[in-house]
Amino acid sequence: MTKHVLLNSIEHLDLKVITDRGAEFGDNVWFTPTFPLEFRSVQAHYPIFFHKDASTGQFFSVAVFGFSHQENLFLHDDNWRGYYVPLTLRRQPFLIGKQVVREDGAEQTQTVIHLDIDSPRVSKEQGEALFLPLGGSSPYLDEVSNMLKTIHLGLQDNAAFVALLLEHKLLESFTLDIQLDDGSKHQMIGFYTVNEDTLAALPTEVLGQLHAKGYLQAIYMLIASQANVRSLLKLKNQLNATAAC
Amino acid sequence: MEQQIKSIVIVGGGTAGWLTAAILAADHNVDQGQLLSPTALNITLVDSPDVATIGVGEGTWPSMRHTLQHIGISETEFINSCDASFKQGSQFNNWCTNSADTYLHPFSLPVGIPDFNICPYWLPFLQQVSFADAVNAQARLSLAGLAPKQISTAEYSFINNYGYHLDAGKFSNLLLQHATSKLGVQHVKAHIAQIRNTVTGNIDAIITTDGRALHADLFIDCSGAASMLLGQHLAVPFIQQKQVLFNDSALAVQVPYPQADAAIASCTQSTAQPNGWVWDIGLQSRRGVGHVYSSAHCSDDQAEQQLRHYLQQSGVENTEQLALRKLSFNPGHYARCWQKNCVAIGMAAGFIEPLEASALALVEWSAKYVSAQLPLPNSLLSVAAERMNQAFNQHWQQIIEFLKLHYVLSKRSDHDYWHDHRESSSIPARLQHLLQFWQHKVPSNQDITHSDVLFPAASYQYILYGMGFETQQSAPLKPSQQKKAQALFEENAKRVQQLAAALPSNRQLLDKIRQYGLPPI
Repeated sequence: MTKHVLLNSIEHLDLKVITDRGAEFGDNVWFTPTFPLEFRSVQAHYPIFFHKDASTGQFFSVAVFGFSHQENLFLHDDNWRGYYVPLTLRRQPFLIGKQVVREDGAEQTQTVIHLDIDSPRVSKEQGEALFLPLGGSSPYLDEVSNMLKTIHLGLQDNAAFVALLLEHKLLESFTLDIQLDDGSKHQMIGFYTVNEDTLAALPTEVLGQLHAKGYLQAIYMLIASQANVRSLLKLKNQLNATAAC
Repeated sequence: MEQQIKSIVIVGGGTAGWLTAAILAADHNVDQGQLLSPTALNITLVDSPDVATIGVGEGTWPSMRHTLQHIGISETEFINSCDASFKQGSQFNNWCTNSADTYLHPFSLPVGIPDFNICPYWLPFLQQVSFADAVNAQARLSLAGLAPKQISTAEYSFINNYGYHLDAGKFSNLLLQHATSKLGVQHVKAHIAQIRNTVTGNIDAIITTDGRALHADLFIDCSGAASMLLGQHLAVPFIQQKQVLFNDSALAVQVPYPQADAAIASCTQSTAQPNGWVWDIGLQSRRGVGHVYSSAHCSDDQAEQQLRHYLQQSGVENTEQLALRKLSFNPGHYARCWQKNCVAIGMAAGFIEPLEASALALVEWSAKYVSAQLPLPNSLLSVAAERMNQAFNQHWQQIIEFLKLHYVLSKRSDHDYWHDHRESSSIPARLQHLLQFWQHKVPSNQDITHSDVLFPAASYQYILYGMGFETQQSAPLKPSQQKKAQALFEENAKRVQQLAAALPSNRQLLDKIRQYGLPPI
């Protein structure tokens, strides 16, 4: 269960947040949303695809960690195999909330920090403190705040990125057929990627438009990231081999 | 080179006119969303600024999905701007015995089609499960008010097959905007003063009251019931069908929902009345309801009373405050839709009661048929006309027989109207023969003698067995085929369960489309 509350330094003064990685903290996800601003770090380790949010039908860029629900091949002995952890996971248990405030008589929407108070990461005993003993936010909380801002901007930018890709018919669905060392075959459906033939045939003015926004680079990083499916396969085969022993 | 038919003038700016203009333009003048230069066809639509369009015809078939996609309108834009909702079939209430009986004619074909006709294998189970429930998931899901897809399903794709309920006025306006801004269709607003012929009797030009002459190689008459070119000017004879299908009048009303988030029905409701039936269509912001009846059997006052009674029964308060609109029509069609260099499409070619909402489907078929002939060498004009007229008449014959079937199978005996419908003199001979065959064998596609059919055998199966028709099969059922059918029945039951948990309600999905839009892929 989740329960989102507005973070404040009075009620939440003593709270700490556990930043270890592990299935018990909800890290056993097979993908997480990412965005072009983060592609450089993400593409080094994980394949990046697009996936539709089931409740809105909107496309998200996602970093993929496994081949099926709840399978995160990068979680190992409650550790994250030392790689870059995407921001949308690292931000847990915080999220961005919106608050309408009146400023000089005009209504404005502000972004604020919400906390999932029921998250297993929230503790009084261990973890990173949110606030300094005498008030003021801790360096950890400042980092969280920056992370949330980056995610907020990143997801907005991703929406613009996707809109351009759709406008130029650059997205296509694909099915990933994999065969493991033990001979078993699996199929991943519901993911989308960039159609490279359409990309190659784009007129120069469209390429210029994509380039000006940094999206051309994002597209190529995304395409290159597909090679990471091989490292996922390797991890999966290792896992199966260990289980078989 | 021989002269080609390349310039088109369409007369009339209702749904039929704009749909025809958009289909022709999309077929010939657009490549991958880009207008070609020069265009292959020159298309002009002329309509009178103060002739109101009739604005009924609020139900479409699934074919409209392909049509809209083809002419390049986004489904999200269409749904949001036309007050549209999803239609998954027609539910017929009180048609069999007038004792709260009900059955569905869904848009999804039975499982197993096209390789396997499952109907004979359902017959032994007719006491346990209705035909529609046994052979597809749509019956149960749509009657539960569930949408035919999810918000993550791409535009025009479906989980269960669907068409639309829509606001016809808003729809023709959207088509107008799209056809003129994206598809290069010329729009002339003018009254028609005169139609001028060539020496050979073809139409040469439409002369407007402001003195313009609109020349074309081919004229398309979408002027509605007036049938200005085909009926009035070219005097093609009209074939009345009132002796088969008696309904010639309708009272229509727009009904608000009791609250903004009221459920939206995903099937057209058709509820039989003493001398006709009531349609009930759920749009996003209102319902469209109407009583269609036979003026020979029932006065307008009686019809109005029965309509207001229906509205009360369906939960509408203060029905006396709702304004009704009376429509009259002469059921039937012209002997030909293509005469000389003129083709009539829509009501200008014929109209019959909207029982299976075939009007727009016939517009789509007609426009696509004409489009496929173009550009046409002048010398082939009469050949193309002859071929289309033949197909046109086959379609009308089938529509009339198929609608008549609904009445013939009824066991209602409350009014003369229903008895008269079962008088054999009112039943087309071919339908009588088919009914004799169907007492021994379920309908199959061999019963339908022409291609490009509007109603496949499955439609006859849904109506016949929805209305309790009895077929005594003489041929034994093969065990292997029975097994195959059994597996399909079970698979279907499982599909119903899975989808019941996964599909949003019609209203929920429409709200989400307004918020997020449907993904284009």
